[in-house]
Amino acid sequence: MPENAQHYKLLTGARLIDGAGGPLIDNGAVLVHGSRIAAVGPASTVSAPDGASVERFDFPGKTIMPGMVDCHTHHNGFGDGRSGDDLSTLPDEVLTLQSARNARASLFSGVTSIRENGPKNFTMFRLRDAVNQGIAVGPRMVLCGRPVAIIGGHMGYFGSVATGPVEARATTRQLIKEGADYIKITATGGSTRTSFPLRPSFEVDELKAITEEAHKFGKLTAAHCVSTQGTVNSLEAGVDMIIHCVFKEADGSDVFRPEVAERIGRQGAYVNPTLHVGRSRIWVMQHKKEREGLTPEEQQHLDAGLRNLETRMEDCRRMQEMGLRVITGSDSSWGDYQLGNTVYEAELLVASGYSAMKGVLSVTGEAAKALGIDDVTGTLEPGKEADIIVVDGNPADDINALWNVNEVFLAGRRVDRGSPESVEANRQMPPRG
Amino acid sequence: MSETQPAFKLIRAARVIDGTGSPALERGAVLLEGDRIRAVGSEESIAAPEGAPVEEFNYENKTVIPGLVDCHVHLIGMGDGRAGDELTTLPDEVLTLQAARNARTHLFSGVTTVRDCGAKNQTTFRLRQAMEMGITPGPRMVLAGRPVAIVGGHLSYFGVQATGPDECRAAVRQLIKEGADYIKITATGGSTRTSFALRPSFTVEELKAICDEVHKFGKHAAAHCASSQGMSNVLEAGIDTIIHAVHREPDGTSKFRPEIAERIARQGVFVNATLGGGRNRVVTLEKKMQAEGLSEQEQEELDQMRRAHQQRLDDFAKMRELGVQMAAGSDSAWGKYKMGGFQHETDSHVAGGMTPMEAIVAATADSARSCWVQDSVGTLEAGKQADLVVVDGDPSQDIGALWDVADVFLAGDRVDRGNFV
Ligand SMILES: [Zn+2]
Ligand SMILES: [Zn+2]
Repeated sequence: MPENAQHYKLLTGARLIDGAGGPLIDNGAVLVHGSRIAAVGPASTVSAPDGASVERFDFPGKTIMPGMVDCHTHHNGFGDGRSGDDLSTLPDEVLTLQSARNARASLFSGVTSIRENGPKNFTMFRLRDAVNQGIAVGPRMVLCGRPVAIIGGHMGYFGSVATGPVEARATTRQLIKEGADYIKITATGGSTRTSFPLRPSFEVDELKAITEEAHKFGKLTAAHCVSTQGTVNSLEAGVDMIIHCVFKEADGSDVFRPEVAERIGRQGAYVNPTLHVGRSRIWVMQHKKEREGLTPEEQQHLDAGLRNLETRMEDCRRMQEMGLRVITGSDSSWGDYQLGNTVYEAELLVASGYSAMKGVLSVTGEAAKALGIDDVTGTLEPGKEADIIVVDGNPADDINALWNVNEVFLAGRRVDRGSPESVEANRQMPPRG
Repeated sequence: MSETQPAFKLIRAARVIDGTGSPALERGAVLLEGDRIRAVGSEESIAAPEGAPVEEFNYENKTVIPGLVDCHVHLIGMGDGRAGDELTTLPDEVLTLQAARNARTHLFSGVTTVRDCGAKNQTTFRLRQAMEMGITPGPRMVLAGRPVAIVGGHLSYFGVQATGPDECRAAVRQLIKEGADYIKITATGGSTRTSFALRPSFTVEELKAICDEVHKFGKHAAAHCASSQGMSNVLEAGIDTIIHAVHREPDGTSKFRPEIAERIARQGVFVNATLGGGRNRVVTLEKKMQAEGLSEQEQEELDQMRRAHQQRLDDFAKMRELGVQMAAGSDSAWGKYKMGGFQHETDSHVAGGMTPMEAIVAATADSARSCWVQDSVGTLEAGKQADLVVVDGDPSQDIGALWDVADVFLAGDRVDRGNFV
């Protein structure tokens, strides 16, 4: 960036959260040089070198903090309730355009890094290429390419299925060759029509082959697990993140298994509980109830959803209390949950038991660690990329302050988010009741 | 449409230009109902039905005109000077993203209808599908899909090559099956490396097969002609629009051929002269000269561009004298001409001898006629789609006013030009 070589930006605010677990700094400041953070601290201690040109951004009354990191996205998705089976029938170009739209909505909401958990074919690689060429706009992207599934398994329709350790290894190599930054595995079935959510998918030796191969190249793995045996198998194989982490037995009963949770903690695996994606379905039904009422079957469905959310939050609370590394990953735009609404997931981690500050860390510094990008982003520390948001209020007191994003800086550049109304329109509102 | 949104919008402005060529109506108004124009007239004469909820827009010192119709775009283009041969090596998903970006830019600049004159594979069809799904905004689109070219011919890298009348017919049928609204033909070579810009491409027999087949389905054909023999051939075949219409001989000399121009006029064929790209380049270099001076090479380019542009302006004027109807089409984002600057084309039309009002008509009503969409857009008349642009000043006095867009309405909805999502 030659035109910026001597150019600094100085951001000051009423308070600053570094996202690294440090104390809240009153009257904080960040000095940005080019794409990176040069200095962070109380405003009185932060200044540009003598004679350097400085552009000042003063945010009185507001909080400066790291851009949010969402560990779990589906950019191809619509969040309009359509199934993944239906989604995957759309042409790649259309899915890429939808991904671009989602990427903008998410970035404009304050998310500066994402980890994508399941797109079709090359769509997200192409979007990232386009962003790098200045054709599209979006956050930093940690990509899996496609999830690895068994034949008929969850998200097998996105294009990567494997059987046996050898194919599993080959698939891992193929994805990494194409540009994958980590490997996503569906270790149980899920919403995919031909899959079995209560049963594991891959054999342990298959999971081991994938994990070993990924680790060999310095890449992380993450496994979708909506029933307990999948989590057990994934832990046996050394997977780095358990997604969903639903404690359900093969017969569908809810049984929290402390020994499994303990093992997650012992192995240092991250947990991405994806609580709001379930609540978003509940909200759709509650909206409908307010609007036109529900049939008895729909009411049953709603009640079951509410019970399930309660169970999931209770399990989440236990894992948080056990000291597991629970982080924010929205799972949007899957189901009824749309990108641009990551805050709802962080809010539920707080409702489950985290302090507001821990909630903030779960969607900044801790999330970046979970993705292995903490050397680049996730905190406000000298040397890191200047991915910064400015919010009204204090999210360390009230996590919902994360809705009030005033400005977004990505790699030191202020993001032009367009009209406030067009940004606000991406927020999904809860039912009135 | 939700119940809270009034079905009627009443737009008042210092003047209304309806695009038909009638003089500007001072203190005019346009009444919209849903996606359509309900009435156009003087401020006193236009009102919503009694008691109907109506949203009002008052534009003092501004002019309402029909949404602009750019009859020649390449949505997948970058406008950064890269050759089409290079552009076509990008993956379809990336080209579609670029097309979406261009569509948004052009819409925000006041263009509410475009005719795409050639894209790779399915990219523009996919963009339209995504627009219909509400994924991304853009103007109305009249699509060719891929242009029909000879083997190695101009734009053949976009995916359709045909040889002989049967393959030509098959190519037309295939494109129409995929959703093409018209057929674009490259009747001479062009910038494509393996093509011959000074020579015709298809035989007259092949061109006839294409034109005949497309007319059978009630659709039209437009042909790229970068040299004179191409024009003669497509006129013989019954073409509807001649693009570029460059009067040039096989040896490269510029020679105006009045008999060709007369035939264009006689057959009622539209010419899309694509003058804006040259003007854009001249203006860009002149600005640079003012600001920081030019390198020797740039000065040479400027001198050459000025001569070439003047030559095209002279031919434009001569064709008009002989009765040729002109339709405004930018050819952006081809070459170094980015989208969002269709107004370079309207400026050029005035530089080539049109009155500002004639240039407005060429960029609205006549452009719509050349794209065969005049029944729905191109003028402000009751029953037509409510596509409107509001500009500062009076473009019927100064065509440059078209650059100062204050608001855009598409199908009756005010476009949020600050919506980047
Ligand atoms: Zn997911
Ligand atoms: Zn062209």
